[in-house]
Amino acid sequence: MSYTFDKTFSITLLALSILFIFQATQISDSAYGSTVGPKIFPLGLGIILGLLSLQLFYESWKKAVRERVTGGPTTSSKISSTELKKFLIILGSALAYVFFLEKIGYMITTFLFLCISFQTMERTKLIYSIIIAAGFSLGVYYLFTSLLGGSLPSFPIF
Amino acid sequence: MSTLQFLADGFAVALQWQNLLFALVGVIIGTAVGVLPGIGPMSGVALLIPVTATITAGLPTEAAATSSIILLAGVYYGAMYGGSTTSILLNTPGESSSVVTTLDGYQMAKQGRAGSALSIAAIGSFCAGVVALLGLILLANPLSKLALKFGPAEYFSLMLLGLAAVSGLAGRSITKALIMTVLGLMLGTVGIDAVSGIERFTFGQPMLFSGIEFLTIAVGLFALGEVFKTILEKEEEDGQLAKINRVLPTKQDLKDSAVPIARGSLLGFFIGVLPGAGATLASFFSYITEKKFSKTPEQFGKGHIAGVAGPESANNAASGGAMIPLLTLGIPGSGTTAILMGALIMYNIQPGPLLFDEHPQVAWGLIASMFIGNLMLLALNMPLVRIFAKIIETPKKYLLPIIIAISIFGVYAVQFATFDLFLLVACGVLGYLFAKNDYPVAPLVLALVLGPMIENNMRRALTISNGDFSIFIIKPLSLLFLVVAISWLLIPLIMKIRGKNVLINEEG
Repeated sequence: MSYTFDKTFSITLLALSILFIFQATQISDSAYGSTVGPKIFPLGLGIILGLLSLQLFYESWKKAVRERVTGGPTTSSKISSTELKKFLIILGSALAYVFFLEKIGYMITTFLFLCISFQTMERTKLIYSIIIAAGFSLGVYYLFTSLLGGSLPSFPIF
Repeated sequence: MSTLQFLADGFAVALQWQNLLFALVGVIIGTAVGVLPGIGPMSGVALLIPVTATITAGLPTEAAATSSIILLAGVYYGAMYGGSTTSILLNTPGESSSVVTTLDGYQMAKQGRAGSALSIAAIGSFCAGVVALLGLILLANPLSKLALKFGPAEYFSLMLLGLAAVSGLAGRSITKALIMTVLGLMLGTVGIDAVSGIERFTFGQPMLFSGIEFLTIAVGLFALGEVFKTILEKEEEDGQLAKINRVLPTKQDLKDSAVPIARGSLLGFFIGVLPGAGATLASFFSYITEKKFSKTPEQFGKGHIAGVAGPESANNAASGGAMIPLLTLGIPGSGTTAILMGALIMYNIQPGPLLFDEHPQVAWGLIASMFIGNLMLLALNMPLVRIFAKIIETPKKYLLPIIIAISIFGVYAVQFATFDLFLLVACGVLGYLFAKNDYPVAPLVLALVLGPMIENNMRRALTISNGDFSIFIIKPLSLLFLVVAISWLLIPLIMKIRGKNVLINEEG
């Protein structure tokens, strides 16, 4: 477990809570004479989050100090660089998939995304990957559009 | 009409052919979800909401809601069955709620008694399902009558109690759990305020006007988060499937496990009804209880049948018990029930005391279908357990990308917006980071579902009292809920300070 994440996260949260409180004060009041407007609840939440983030910062700081005293951080599960690379490729292709979905259609993007990520996971049996990816993208598209009457972006619109 | 009459109507609904099919599909998918490590009941249910929403799109709203909730609930309790299979055969629990089953179940499998263990687990789960069902039938009416007397102040405090209970038990650090709760509540305030019609935190973006969709967040945090985790942290796959010789248990096994099943079912049911304490805690408690009551406690851990029968009954009973606060009070006590509640709200059906009056078809249909679903699981699991165990051999290479593709398809099919898809992927990354750093995700989703209702009830209560906050303390029931809520948060804290170990609930 890394306390750096906790620390960074607590500072982010503090910033978020300040921003949230500021935004909450900008909310306009109710038009009619209700005593509790739409402001109070978010305002309260912002304040509570601010306090909690301070508490989190204090806790993680205390733990980090204790660790420095006892020496050596507790063993954490290290992520190997190959796994990280795989993850980044899949994440990147997922983002590209989402970005191009409406532009070049569901079937092509899904097929490409699946092919890339299957092969990224394990670089074997390209034929199987292509067959499964094609089967999934075509199958989902036709089931959804013809059987269930839904609509998905089909092919690129030029 | 009497309860029995309602129940009969419920069976009439549940026995319609499409609902039978939905229950069957639900329990089969649930078993698969339970068998596969890496996909828990929460992500399974979240992933299937959009799919069921599209399948049921042609039906009238109420029928559609009934059918999809039948399927989703089937996934929920089906996963409890499936989780035991891999615990026993592979020593790898498919769910956190079947961790204790590995202790004795795997030992039994090693001794060549895998079949007995599996069938006892299935029988135990079935009995527990029936116990939970009876409890639900008995408690549904009185509880919803009681809840009808609640005003906004009571509701506000009761929901706070629900949140407090889930946060108090949700993880190693209460601070982190509370942070997640508050973040969920904050996300719930985005959009147009339901009372005054004023935009809040939308920054003028039209796609934020209707608020942040709960479905996107849930699928992202749970399903994608778990997929990313599996990609990044490659687990060593070890162990071979133990052989299954005979499927039916011996008479001796049945005799030995009858009492543990009964005890486990009752214990699990009551733990399930309590908010915050879910199936995982129930199975742990049941194991400890069985060990205490057993005449041969030294046999535990070496393949004692009671060590399988008790916990497996308890986790199933707990998942049934967890439906009670959801259906009668409208307050989900766990992550999975929060997702089920979100699904109901998507169909414009508000769980709560009025559910039984306004939509008896949904409520009783679900209750009846749970009975039928449990029967199906028993019938399916005994002969097909070998096939189900094979599911674990699905190569991750194909499984993980397909889960991503299904999530993206599902969210797009319901939302029709790429904005939600980007949010989905972002939530996936966050879900992984949160899980890795011990931030429990279930409270966030629960808070997101409850948030708008908490705020509405708070404002209604304050309007009644003319802005006087003491209304929450003056009303006795409301005060009681608040006191319980605070103690739920404080007692674990005090126990921790005293250096005692606190059981935590890692599943939702």
